[in-house]
Amino acid sequence: MKLELKNIKKSFGEKKVLTEVSLVAEGGKAFGLLGRNGAGKTTTIRILMDVFPADSGEILFDGKPLRDQHIGFGYLPEERGLYPKKKILDQLLYFAALKGMKQTESVKAIDYWLERLGMTEYRNKRLDTLSKGNQQKIQLITALAHNPQIVILDEPFSGLDPVNAMLLKEVVKEEIAKGKIVLFSSHQMNYIEEFCDSIAILNNGKAVLQGDLRDIKRHTSRDKLIIRSPEAGKIETAFAPFAEKQAEDELLLRLSSPEKKQQTMKELTEQFDIDEIRVFEPSLNDIFITYTNDSADPLQKN
Amino acid sequence: MKQFGTIFRFECKNYLKNKIFVGVTVFLIALIAAVMFFPRILSLFESTKEPMPKDRPVMLISAGTENAAAVQEAFAAAFGEYQIVLSENGIGSLREKVESGEAECAFAIESLTSYRYYVKNLSMYDEKTYAADEVLRSLYRIDAMTKAGLSETKAGEILAMPIQHETETLGKDQFQNFFYTYIMIFALYMVILLYGQMVAMNVATEKSSRAMELLITSAKPTAMMFGKVFASCLAGLTQLICVFGSAILFFNCNKEYWGENPIINSIFNMPTDLLLYMILFFILGFFIYAFLYGAIGSTASKLEDINTSVMPITMLFIIAFFIVIFSMTSGNINSVVMRVCSYIPFTSPMAMFTRIAMSAVPAYEILLSVVILVASVVGVGVLSAKIYRVGVLLYGTTPKIGTLLKSIRNAK
Repeated sequence: MKLELKNIKKSFGEKKVLTEVSLVAEGGKAFGLLGRNGAGKTTTIRILMDVFPADSGEILFDGKPLRDQHIGFGYLPEERGLYPKKKILDQLLYFAALKGMKQTESVKAIDYWLERLGMTEYRNKRLDTLSKGNQQKIQLITALAHNPQIVILDEPFSGLDPVNAMLLKEVVKEEIAKGKIVLFSSHQMNYIEEFCDSIAILNNGKAVLQGDLRDIKRHTSRDKLIIRSPEAGKIETAFAPFAEKQAEDELLLRLSSPEKKQQTMKELTEQFDIDEIRVFEPSLNDIFITYTNDSADPLQKN
Repeated sequence: MKQFGTIFRFECKNYLKNKIFVGVTVFLIALIAAVMFFPRILSLFESTKEPMPKDRPVMLISAGTENAAAVQEAFAAAFGEYQIVLSENGIGSLREKVESGEAECAFAIESLTSYRYYVKNLSMYDEKTYAADEVLRSLYRIDAMTKAGLSETKAGEILAMPIQHETETLGKDQFQNFFYTYIMIFALYMVILLYGQMVAMNVATEKSSRAMELLITSAKPTAMMFGKVFASCLAGLTQLICVFGSAILFFNCNKEYWGENPIINSIFNMPTDLLLYMILFFILGFFIYAFLYGAIGSTASKLEDINTSVMPITMLFIIAFFIVIFSMTSGNINSVVMRVCSYIPFTSPMAMFTRIAMSAVPAYEILLSVVILVASVVGVGVLSAKIYRVGVLLYGTTPKIGTLLKSIRNAK
């Protein structure tokens, strides 16, 4: 399974929301859709789900146009909400029916998911009698019960306690193992880093970075060193203004080019008492900030 | 289409489970049952005792001696429901007795051409002075005629000469039709307004609870809109049929107890074709307003905004209602205003229905009005679905009509 978005453009009136979004997501892998608030994540998701059409560009599923095929979508919107006054089973059945499921099938699927998420006791309760986290678990069922090929989870971990977050992680891993395409949209970088094999970063309606997360990390220029030393203060003055204090005895050292790495390491070990030297690898958080914030610049773009 | 069916069933079930909807329907049926069975129940208590003459209220009269007996006799004939007592004492005692409640009212007749009427609280509907005027005028004329030489019987005959007349209604009898038309128009008004606003409320609730986020990705907006409107229409129609059906049923159970009551009889004499017209105009009128209400509901992001947002449509509908009611009460059903209104789609459900009920309208006029209405329903339905599609995704302040139309054009 392979989902491709090619050169998607969309504007609402004068306002250009998506200027150019292209991305590739594959089955059996989780895909992280990142971006600051207002970057166009929700618009991209809505275009993908055919809430409104794109102005131009195409969406392909296994090489053929997505709209010509009957592809099931499961969606957990960021703005959660179902019918607060209705019985949980009734509304789950309603949404399953809207997705085209037969009554007997959907009852079975819903009962499985209620059991899986530990919500069976609330089956016949009204939604507004549940806590926020539990309401979110019910909403997750609406995204998964009809066994969709593409699962889109928008900030799935917000508002969950650690135990429920763990449960959700397990469920997501199960879905990925089933070979589905799982699309994550989140600001919690640690979760994205944990799950997602590939990511796309949107900035001002444009996919500024997209691809395999490990490749992205590997390809950021290796021109910074992390140095741990009891003589951190001395090193900092010696290498000013290229050294930057990170912690009590830790420094970040910028090199003029990656080739200087070996020589600098040698110099350092000869002149100072060094506990540890390693090449700095950016976290997803660092990458995100680099590509979405033009004013702050903890590492140069490559 | 399958989604429409799912949404339609879901919304219908909502109405059936809605305690207020079921409660109001049951209450209305119970109320109608109570009214319809009232004479029957009353007759159970009344059948044994005829009202005794002494139970009747007392009307005191004092009159000049020469014609006191004749006056008393004439008053007794004119006010059958009263016990006429001739007072021997003066005017002062008349006042006292009325004031103390011993007599309900009193006439101090000074001569056949002048009297004073005493009553404690003058009712809005008190017409005793008109009757008394009539009695005294007739006595005076007989008196005058006999003085001029005619015999008393001859004079009586001349005065009591009945005029024979017959009315042949070629169109519709407006008096007979008035009550049921009024009831039907009122029912149309109530149901369209109530259920239309319910559609708006329904849409806005889904939007404000954010269930819309999920719905919009699960179903087509047109299916959502039409499913809701059709379900509300069915709910409204069911309620109408329940209420009118139970009224007709209960009336037929108690027909003999109602006897010759003209209003009740005229209401239940309504022709079947008029009932069918009512259903037709209800459905069409309901659709046109419910679509608009649904579209407006989709543009509001908070429930509190609904009341102000729907105001223009509600006003339009109320104006239509008042035009029809004023025309009905003035008796000028086929005035220019009514004729024009019966072709404008927003007023025609009530205006055309009233004209059909209370006057003879040529078939082509009805057909034209219905065709215009059906075309408008389709047009408004399509437009509303477009507004809905854009509206449900807009949060924040309620958009202006201009921006809304712009985004609809862009959404195409």
